[in-house]
Amino acid sequence: MPAQSMAAPRGRVSVWPARRRRHTLLFCYLALAPVLALFAYIRAFPIAWSVILSFHRWDLIGASKPFVGFANYVRLAGDGNFWLAVKNTTIYSLATVIASTLLALPLAVFLSGKTRLAALYQTIYFLPVITPMVPMAIAWKWIYDYNYGILNYALSLARLPSVAWLTDEKVALWALIIMSVWKVLGYNLILFLVGIRNIPDVYLEAASLDGATPWQRFRRVTFPLLRPIVLYVLVTATINSYNVFTQVYVMTLGSQAAPGHAVRVLVFDIYQNAFQYFHMGYASAEAVILTLIVLGFTLVQFGLVRGEEA
Amino acid sequence: MRTVRKGGPRIERRTFLKLAAGAGVAAAGGVGLAPARPAAGATTLAVWTGFPELVPFYKAVADAYGKTHAGVTVTVFSSSLREIEQKLSTAVPTGTGPDIYDIGTNISIKFIEGGLLDPNPPDVERTLTSGAWHASVVDFFGIGGKHYGLPLMEGSHASMFYNKAMFREAGIAKPPSTFPELTAAARKLVRFDASGKMTRSGISMRLSGQGSGIGEKFRFVLEPAGGSLVVRTPSGKWHNGYDNDAGRAALQFYVDAVQKDKIDDPKVPHDADAFAAGNTAMLFREAWVIGEIQQKNPKLEYGVAPIPRWKAGGPYKMLVQPWGIYVNGKSGNKRAAWEFLTFLTNRENAVRLTTMTGWVSERQDVDWKPLLKDIPQFAVFVSPPKDVVFYVEPIFSVFDEVESKLADRLVPAYVDPSLNNAPDKVAQRIREMAAETDEILKGAGLYGMT
Repeated sequence: MPAQSMAAPRGRVSVWPARRRRHTLLFCYLALAPVLALFAYIRAFPIAWSVILSFHRWDLIGASKPFVGFANYVRLAGDGNFWLAVKNTTIYSLATVIASTLLALPLAVFLSGKTRLAALYQTIYFLPVITPMVPMAIAWKWIYDYNYGILNYALSLARLPSVAWLTDEKVALWALIIMSVWKVLGYNLILFLVGIRNIPDVYLEAASLDGATPWQRFRRVTFPLLRPIVLYVLVTATINSYNVFTQVYVMTLGSQAAPGHAVRVLVFDIYQNAFQYFHMGYASAEAVILTLIVLGFTLVQFGLVRGEEA
Repeated sequence: MRTVRKGGPRIERRTFLKLAAGAGVAAAGGVGLAPARPAAGATTLAVWTGFPELVPFYKAVADAYGKTHAGVTVTVFSSSLREIEQKLSTAVPTGTGPDIYDIGTNISIKFIEGGLLDPNPPDVERTLTSGAWHASVVDFFGIGGKHYGLPLMEGSHASMFYNKAMFREAGIAKPPSTFPELTAAARKLVRFDASGKMTRSGISMRLSGQGSGIGEKFRFVLEPAGGSLVVRTPSGKWHNGYDNDAGRAALQFYVDAVQKDKIDDPKVPHDADAFAAGNTAMLFREAWVIGEIQQKNPKLEYGVAPIPRWKAGGPYKMLVQPWGIYVNGKSGNKRAAWEFLTFLTNRENAVRLTTMTGWVSERQDVDWKPLLKDIPQFAVFVSPPKDVVFYVEPIFSVFDEVESKLADRLVPAYVDPSLNNAPDKVAQRIREMAAETDEILKGAGLYGMT
């Protein structure tokens, strides 16, 4: 009896959790279903559709959508505008990611200390992040203005010659990079700051007791523990910078604007092919290539950071 | 405890289902609570335009129309031209577009080819061919023997704005009538500061940025020089029309203007704003600039003349770019929309359009005298000189691409120092540009030499 009475509850216990687990899972899936459906509809489906579309020719308006195989990709390989966009985007991304990371990290270390007005500095650095891109780009267009811009005014105070920030084709891309670094610096800074503040003080105190200099503490303790954050910053900054569009669009509008070819980037080229020339299949092929480039860079970054960790 | 735990998830699932059902009911109710439909017999016509400055005009016409058509309400949506092109291109094929829209031929031709625009109904056709518009304008709206839409306004008739005070100050008695005269005048009109920095351009040309506008402005020089961006063959195909002396001369003019004659510089302020502010002495532009000047600097002393001849004895050339207004082929209010469109483009509203916006109606039966008495600068736009030779905007789907890609090559060429005093290199650049134009035409199946 005792054995039976013990067995029965055990049997119930072994059956109930399984059923409950199934029910719980079902509930979870049901609860997630609307969000997943929405994600599939606005994210997964358009990506899949873009891949399919890249093998077709379509002008957005007409019903005809003939299958063209790899013709769009073959054409891309010989398209000077596409390669110019790849080159400009890569320069832009490398410069923006490197500069914004290298500037944000020491600033974060500085602001993580018991600095007076640290909160004020953080707010100041973060303000550009929350400022909408279009008005900001218009403001920077004025800052860069050759005749009336504040930047050239500052240069004149230092007795330096004015620079045609936007209209000089050799400078325009760098003007875009400076603006973008200013924009993302605060975001990277906050991420690094959170990472630094999560490092237990005991490690740094132990290093100090062992006689480590501030630079050694940073290099041997802070930076290694920040690696996951560095990886995250590098990955997100690379993805974001390869998707640069709004500032290019704004800064090439009008007669007093940057030359289109000098700042031609991939998303701008995709936009132009898709929504100005209505080559939807061709633009989709370009978008697929952009996705692969970003994916490739992301995997390389994962590999590098994780390789060092190992 | 177990009972509570067992019951817990079940209650949550129920709650979830109830909430979901509640949300569904609320959503359904929300649909029911959506803005009330117009009362029976009432019609709301949605109009989309890529010219924000036309919105007050549309609203004024709608108000006037409402006085005799109490059941008709007109809503107007505007955005930048590019955005409207994109919105229409997605909305019209999916049946979510407006009832009426104004748009360029680069988009309307696609709608016509896609069966998304209906030919004009008989009464509208009678209006179009009544003689109110010149036959060449009427032809512009014809494809395959049928007409689509009505002419709303002239999108170009680009002419030369010149600052009379600056001309007087430089001792120039009249506007230049040839390009050599224009260069000579611009050299007298341009100003530099002590450091050699240009402070006022002799003429403001489109030298930077991107987009088809740059290619269009290049045509203002190319056409007088005797070339064309594209040429139509007797078989209806197209090929470039500027890999020739005219094309080379036009590019040389721009290169010289920036690098040799130094009458313009990409760094100085440009376009209508610059002209209105007195930062340039001359400008090739359309009639809307008059409206701009009235708003921004009504005291500006200026005149408007045709864009000069290439050389003495040559023709004045003027771009004709009729801008149409159309009834969406998928509109549920076609009849009401056509009636409103006919009213919108009548003689009275032609004057209203020009007075309110600066854009000029294409109608040739309008008495412009009262307007010209107030604003004589409109004269060249509303009644161009008799010896002007018009050239018409080509109607095919990739023309915008032709102009935009040409622009990407023109901008660096204008400032490329290696092209200064180097006719061979200028010729090489033109050859490359023209080859790209032909490639675009080939890609669209439009290329041909015969």
